Order: sequence, then structure tokens, then C-alpha cells
Amino acid sequence: MSKLKLVAENSLRDLAHSDGRISLLTQTLLLAFLLTLTLTSGSIQTYLRTNLDQMLGSDMVIESHTPLTDSQIETLQGMAAGTSRTVLTNITLTSGTNWERAQLKIVDSNYPLQGTLQIGQAPSAQQRPVQRGPSEGEIWLDSRLATKLRLKVGDRLNLGEIDLLVAAILFHEPDRILEGHSVAKRAMVHRASLDAVSLDTAKSRTRFLIAADETAQGAIEDWAKKALPAATLTKKYGGQHPLAGFWTRTENFLGLASVILFFLGAVALDMTNRRWLAKMRYRLAIYASFGTSNRTGMLIALGEWLIGFLACVAIACSLAAIAFGLIIQDLQGYFPGLEVGWDSLAALKTIGLVFVLMLTLQLPSFIQLTRASLLSLIRSTSEGNYVWSRLAMGLISVAILAIAYSDNWLLTGMTLTAITIAITVMIILTWAVIRLGDRWGRGKAGLLPFAFFIMRQRLFAKSAQIMGLGLCGLLLLFTLMSMRDFRAMMEGYGRTHDGNLMISEAQENQIEAIHTWAKTTNSSVRSLRPYVSAQLISVNGKSLADYMQKPSDTLATLKDPIRLSWSDTLPANNRLAGGKWWQPEPENWQQISTEPEVMTDMGLRYGDTLTYDISGEAYEFTLVASHAFKPGGGSITFWFQVPATARPHIDAPTRYMGSMELPERAWVALSQLWQQHPTLSLVPLKELTDRFDQTLGIVTKITSGYAGMILILALFVLAASISGFSADDRQKNGLLMSMGLRKSDCLRLNFYDWGLTAFIAAAGAIIGTWMSGELMYQSQFGLTYDPDVLWLISTLLIMIGLVCFVGFAACRHALNSSVRDLLAE
Amino acid sequence: MQNKIELKRISHHFDTSEERIELFHELSHTICSGETLAIVGPSGAGKSSLLSIAAGLEAPSEGTVSFTIDGNQVDTLYMRASSGFIFQQFHLMPELDAIDNLALPLRLKGNKAAYDIAASWLDNIGLKDRARHRPHQLSGGEQQRIAVARAFVSKPQFIFADEPTGNLDARTSASVTSLMFDCALETGCGLVIVTHSKELAACAQKSLRLEAGRLEVAA
Repeated sequence: MSKLKLVAENSLRDLAHSDGRISLLTQTLLLAFLLTLTLTSGSIQTYLRTNLDQMLGSDMVIESHTPLTDSQIETLQGMAAGTSRTVLTNITLTSGTNWERAQLKIVDSNYPLQGTLQIGQAPSAQQRPVQRGPSEGEIWLDSRLATKLRLKVGDRLNLGEIDLLVAAILFHEPDRILEGHSVAKRAMVHRASLDAVSLDTAKSRTRFLIAADETAQGAIEDWAKKALPAATLTKKYGGQHPLAGFWTRTENFLGLASVILFFLGAVALDMTNRRWLAKMRYRLAIYASFGTSNRTGMLIALGEWLIGFLACVAIACSLAAIAFGLIIQDLQGYFPGLEVGWDSLAALKTIGLVFVLMLTLQLPSFIQLTRASLLSLIRSTSEGNYVWSRLAMGLISVAILAIAYSDNWLLTGMTLTAITIAITVMIILTWAVIRLGDRWGRGKAGLLPFAFFIMRQRLFAKSAQIMGLGLCGLLLLFTLMSMRDFRAMMEGYGRTHDGNLMISEAQENQIEAIHTWAKTTNSSVRSLRPYVSAQLISVNGKSLADYMQKPSDTLATLKDPIRLSWSDTLPANNRLAGGKWWQPEPENWQQISTEPEVMTDMGLRYGDTLTYDISGEAYEFTLVASHAFKPGGGSITFWFQVPATARPHIDAPTRYMGSMELPERAWVALSQLWQQHPTLSLVPLKELTDRFDQTLGIVTKITSGYAGMILILALFVLAASISGFSADDRQKNGLLMSMGLRKSDCLRLNFYDWGLTAFIAAAGAIIGTWMSGELMYQSQFGLTYDPDVLWLISTLLIMIGLVCFVGFAACRHALNSSVRDLLAE
Repeated sequence: MQNKIELKRISHHFDTSEERIELFHELSHTICSGETLAIVGPSGAGKSSLLSIAAGLEAPSEGTVSFTIDGNQVDTLYMRASSGFIFQQFHLMPELDAIDNLALPLRLKGNKAAYDIAASWLDNIGLKDRARHRPHQLSGGEQQRIAVARAFVSKPQFIFADEPTGNLDARTSASVTSLMFDCALETGCGLVIVTHSKELAACAQKSLRLEAGRLEVAA
């Protein structure tokens, strides 16, 4: 009991000192971040599970972009106890001069099979449950759509040539969860209402809600796999949730962020560890002087560290609870009904993981501590250096975290590669500059040669300090640079886009109407590129689901149909990134080219066979080339391109994508064009930039929080660096002053020391940032890396200035003590 | 029961990058509890190394050292658990006050009455009113008195002191010397002191001189 009390007292005393505080705050911040991430993720997963149980609207759902044939529908109905057929399509609804894009759900009389719809008489009215969807001649609008179109219940709305009654405000459908995180405005109509109008678009989806027992579900699943390879199947139990993939990817991104944050935290901890080790060595040596065994000493050291960690757990849990509550409150806008649920097991697992990581970081110090000897109190003993084991343990712990949290190995690998290159550069620079400086200074008088001499004597400690500051600078610079460039990219979208109205989908029979409308409104059609809607269903004969299990944005996109374009020559806005562009011989039509990041993310190689479902038929292509976007020559580029000679072999309607430039007065006339062709998908650039602004708002919120964390940790690293070396500097200054040097000389000496440290660290940080940009910008973010040299040099100077200023201030403060005090320390 | 340390034909050296430095060659001596022994000699003769070997902190290059506690031969670990040390630099824990420093060895041995015993020792050494003072608020003499008390408080069988008065003036040295020898007499432990001070060496029952690798009884 007495020993435990002593351990606790020592821990509390250590935590009251600057090193202890920095260490505690760093650990707390990292743990709080990871706990918040885990808890938020846990809550969302629970929400998704619960919603799937209660809100699928049926026992299982089959969704396909290709309509099922009559015989397929017959087979399905034969196996199921009940079915309901729904078609989802994106259209533009108009009312007077108001227009709005919406997702229209066309339902039958059986919809929904299970659960209820929630409707009301006005956007703010009381909701009431109903068992069936709208009747023939009615349309239901969701509250945002009704408000935007300025329609209320009882008003009439024209869809093409059909007149529909707005009969209710739609609040909720039981299969709503299948829309994932979509926030599209919604409308619902009965199938019988649209008999006279065709609403086929490339992105139309047919959805079958199915009621079936477990045996029948198994049979349907087997049948769907063979007969409908491009369809997705969701089951109430044991199925992959539509939102789960999205959330997993978000988690992965946050995982990478946590790897970077942890790396920075590890640097701060490493710096405080140096002082901690010296203190513990001294403490254990004294304990040994009155008969305490090494084992007891080590247990005490472990106990003290553990208490520090428990204190960090207590504070981090409180902080995480607050942050978790606030984030859930914010997320309730995206996931209605999401609740704060404390998942103790997940939290414990995270605490366990952080414990292992911290222990790994601490391990080299503990190993060093086992060599603490009473002899060091009698005469000076060699302590050895352990820079390499610290570095290795740091990398191991970061790798453990990367394994646990990130599955985008390319991005994680690139981050770690950039960090490794930066570390190598800094080590080489440190050794070269200091050793050459020392050699230059031999036989010379003055403070600068002496500064080199002193740094040469403390080469290992100096390397650690430089690496810490340099890594901190690298991560800070890269975060700030990418945030600045993302913002500039998004803000610059309007300027670089070709035209002010984007044609995201036009059918062949709509092209003439577009040209006519453009002529009458003095608008110009800037570009139109043809494509067919195609869905990748297998790679080298393996279905997409079997070929790739790892979630990624690319895979998520490829689960839906994409635009497949054709061209004999390389388009003007593309460059050949690899492979060999095809020759336009007709017999070579089964060739395909894709973008490099699609190849990387999907693990594709030249020579792979890609099979696409195009209008219900399977087409095989051999991957022979990769193309990448290059500025100039228009902004539209396609993920996949085939030779123009392939087009006659493909039996599917041609669609177009392009852009127009509209004069100001033409905008009001747009509703006429949409009224005639509701499926025509035109996206005004203003709307596009609005969407970007919304996305930018979310991105800014996340990145600002993230940059805030990085800044706090960077400050910890700087504080740890100053605090960790201040005792050495005080002693050095005291000795120099006792030899007759003036305060101004000591300040100059410190200035040289910190200036060199900051210069090497900043140079390493900038080279690392440059490398990161070169590695990641194009392949991961689709941005051309164009470093702003002036910005980088300014940042370099600011970093050097800041580090020198802080070092200078710390030294000045230390010099205010007397020589006697300095020597006494 | 007899407690003793037997040094049998021990030799010690250490190597630098250029040469081997021989400290002493084939020394033999027995140190018993209840006796006070001073080791004197010029700087660099190997006095501190001899002290470390006798205390079981390091092994000699050649020869053997055996430790007997309560009539049983024991290993170095047991020996170290039965020893206390006094240093030239005092080595009090800077973050602890006087009474905490004094109570520390007892607390580490799980003694529940640690603070009562420490308070009584503080009283004995005349520093009762300094109980809540940290080392930097104490004079060198006061710090060393606490360090001496700390070494004796857990009643070890042997105390090893390395230049215990090396940092003190003559008057303070005398007071610390007297305290050390009084405590040794009172507790009956063996006291081994390495020193340059003739006054301090003269207080010991036996004084050995280490010079040029040989150990002789000092005059």
C-alpha cells in the first residue's frame, strides 16, 4: 500500500511538471480523437443496423440498372411470397418558372410490402402513417421540393404532358435507407399515372421489394447471382448495408488522419521521453542506493507510467463524451434518429489499442531504464544512445495504427514513404551540415565554430530534435498546403469549366431540341460527347464482388453504371499515361483504356479482361492503355474509353454529356426545355458550385478541426523540444558565462544553435512536403501538383523565425538566472 | 551473527581506446559489520572502484568477492538490499522535501510507520523545523545530514560512503562525520568510507591506503 501510494504521488508530481503535462496532453488528445472516432462510428453502425431491421420495406431487395425482362419478373414472382416493383429516376420538375432536380420514385399498388409511409398535408403539418403509396393521378413531394417549387397540397403539377395532383407531402418511405447518404429531393408517383410518358434515363434503377421466407430468400439469391449479375441484393438480415460502405470509407479517411496525428504525437512524446528517462534513471539509482532492487524500481517506473496513462484515459473519456455528443447532434441532420450510444466494448478496444501503441513508443525508454545503475551516482557512466530503437518503435507503432485504421494502402503507403524520405533527408543534412561545420571550424576562433563543435558533441540528441521539428513541420505544411489547394480548386471550378450549364445526360432524341432551344435563346453548345451507360460486372471472369472486397470510392462508383465513351484518337484533354493507345482497325474493337487511379485502386493490369453489362448484354474488353486528364481542350473526361469501332457492336442507346454557355436572359427559358423533356439532365454551373460550396462547407469543417488538432500537436512538439533541451542549454550557458562570456555571446551562440536546427528541420519539412505533393496530388486527389515556390520559401522563413524566436526567448529567460543558479542546476 | 565482505585477490582494470589502465592488483581484505573502515589515496588510484566492488555494484576483473549476511553466504542482489550509500553530491530527490526524502527508503520497504520514523530521525539530526523544506532550500551540510540519515534509516548491514564530506567546509564536515560515526555505532553496521580527508579517515577504526595498485594500512 505504501509503495502504491508512493507510485501515485510520484506520478502526480511528474504530471505537474512541464514534460509531464505535455506528455499527458498529447496522449489525451490522441486518445480523445480516436475514442470520438470509434464512438461516432459505433453509433452510426448501430443506427444502420437498427434501421435495416425496421426499415427495408420488405425481407429483401433486388436493385438493377437494367430493367428485368418479363420472364425474369415471372421467375422472381414465382419464388417470392410477394413483390413490389419500383423505378427510381432523376428528373427535373417544373412549376411556372420554378424548376428543381428531383429523384422520382414510381411505385405500384403493392408498395411498400412492409412498414408504413409517413405523409402530411403541409411541410410543417403532423405526420400520419399510410399503408400504400399515391393513387393514379397523384404525386407526393417531399417538403424541400414542395417549398422549392412553391407548391402546396391541392396544387397541380405538369410532368411532360401529364397533369398530376399534389396530394400529400412525403416525409418518409420504409425503403428510404436504400438511398444511402443521398440528400436528393424526392417525389413519388403511381406507375399507372405515367403510362403515356417515357422516363427512361441512364441512371434509372428498378427496385424489387420482395417478401420471402429464409429458404425462398436463399433460392432468390442464387438465381439473382446467375441471372442478374449486375444487380445488387440487400437482405434485412446478414446483408451488406447500403450506407455501411460509405461510412467505412469515411472511417478510412479519418483513419489516415489519425495516423498522421499519431505520428506527430509520437514526436512530441519522444521528446518528452528523453527527459523522463533521465529523471527515472536518477530516481531508480537513488532507490537502489538504499537497497531497492532493480525489479521493484522497474515496477515503480511502470506503475508511474500506467497511472499517467489512466489519468489520460479519464480526461480523454470526458473530452470524447462531449465531442461525441456534439458530433452526433450535428450528424442527426444526415442520419435522422441517430442517437448517442456509449459502446463500452468498442471504447475499451480503442483504449487497449492506444495503450499498446503508447507502450510500444515507451518500450525503448523502459529497456534503457533496466540499465539504470547506482554506479552513475558514484562516477559518470556511459548511457549509450538509443535513437534507432526509438525511431524503429515509433515507426512500428504508427504501422500498428495504420493496420488498425486504414485500408487505403496506397495513400497510407505514400504518406509513410514521404515521411521516410523526409527523415532520411534530415538525417543526411544534419550529419553533413554539423560534421562539415565542425571540420570547417577546427582551428578557428569564434562562436560559430564553437556552436558547430557543441552540436557535433550532441549529434544524436540534436538529430532527434531536428527530426521531431522537421516532421512536425512536414505534417503541418502538407495539411495547410492541401487545404489551401483544395479550396482553390473548388473555388476555381467555375473559372475553369467550359460553359455555364453542364449537360450531364441527354438522350439522342433530345439533341435536336437542345440545339433548337440554344438557337432561339442565343445560347451556344460548347461540347457534346457521346457515351453509353455501362456497368462493370466482372474482371477476368470474376464477379466484381468476388474480385474486390476492399471498400474504396472507385469500387463504390463502379457498382453503379458509368459512362463508357469512344474515340479513335486520344482526346485533346487527355494524355497517354501508360500502355498503348489502339489503332483504329475494326477487328481491334474490344480494347479499353482507363484512368490510372482506377487501375491502382482496382488493382487492374494491362491485359485484364473487363466485362460490362450494357443494356442487359455482356461485352468484354481488354485493358490496353490508361489515359489521364490534361488541362486545355475541355473539362469532360471519361473513366473508360473504347475505340470508335466498338460502337456499332454495342446495342444500346447513345447518350451525351457536354456543356453550354447561356446568356443571362436564357435561364428563365430553361423550364420550357425541361417541361418538354423532364429527363434531360442539365446542371447549371451555379447549382454545381452551390453543391461544391455545400461540400466545401463540410470539408472545411472537417479539415479545420483536423488542422486545429495538428496545430495543437505542433505546439506540443515545439514546447517539448524547448523543454526537453532547456536543462542542457541552461547548463551550457552557465558554464560559458562562468568562463567569462557575456550574455550577448550566449544569446548569439543559442541563436546559431537554434538557427541551424530550424534551417535543417525546415529544409527537411519542405522537401518532404514537396515529395508528398508529387506522390499524392495527382493519384489521390486528381490535382495537378504545382508548388508555389514563394509560398514554400515564405513558410520556411516563418518556421525558422518562429523556432528561433521561441528558442531565443527560452534562452533569454534562462540567462536571467545567475551563474550560480545555472551551475547549481 | 557475523556479517562480512571478503575481497580475495581481486584485480581491476579498465580499457580506453588506446591503453589498459590497471587500478589495483591482487588485493585481499575482509570488511566486517560493526567496524568502520576508511580508504584513502590519491585521485585516480581506484578508491571508488574498490568501493563499488566491495558493495557488489560491479565485479572485479579478477579474483572473487563473497558476502556473508547473518552467517549465510549471499549474492550481490541480497547484499545490495542490505546496504546503504552516502554520496559526495548528496543526491536527495529534488522534488521531495526533507521528511519525504527521509521516509522514502522505509516506504519502498513497505513500512507503514515511515513518516513517524523519519520525523524522529529528523529530530535526532536537529532538522525537525526543516521537514517541509526542499533540497534547494537547504544548505550543503543540512542536505548531507539528511542524506546520512536516509542511508541509516532502514537499518542496513553496511553503509558505503563516497567522499561524504568532499563538498563541505571543515566545520560542517566535522558535524557530518560525527553524525555518520554515531549512527554506525548505534546501529552496529559496517561503514566503508572513501575519502581524501585525513580528519575523517582518522575517525575510522581502520584506515587503508590505496596507491599504485596496492592496499596498505595507513599510518
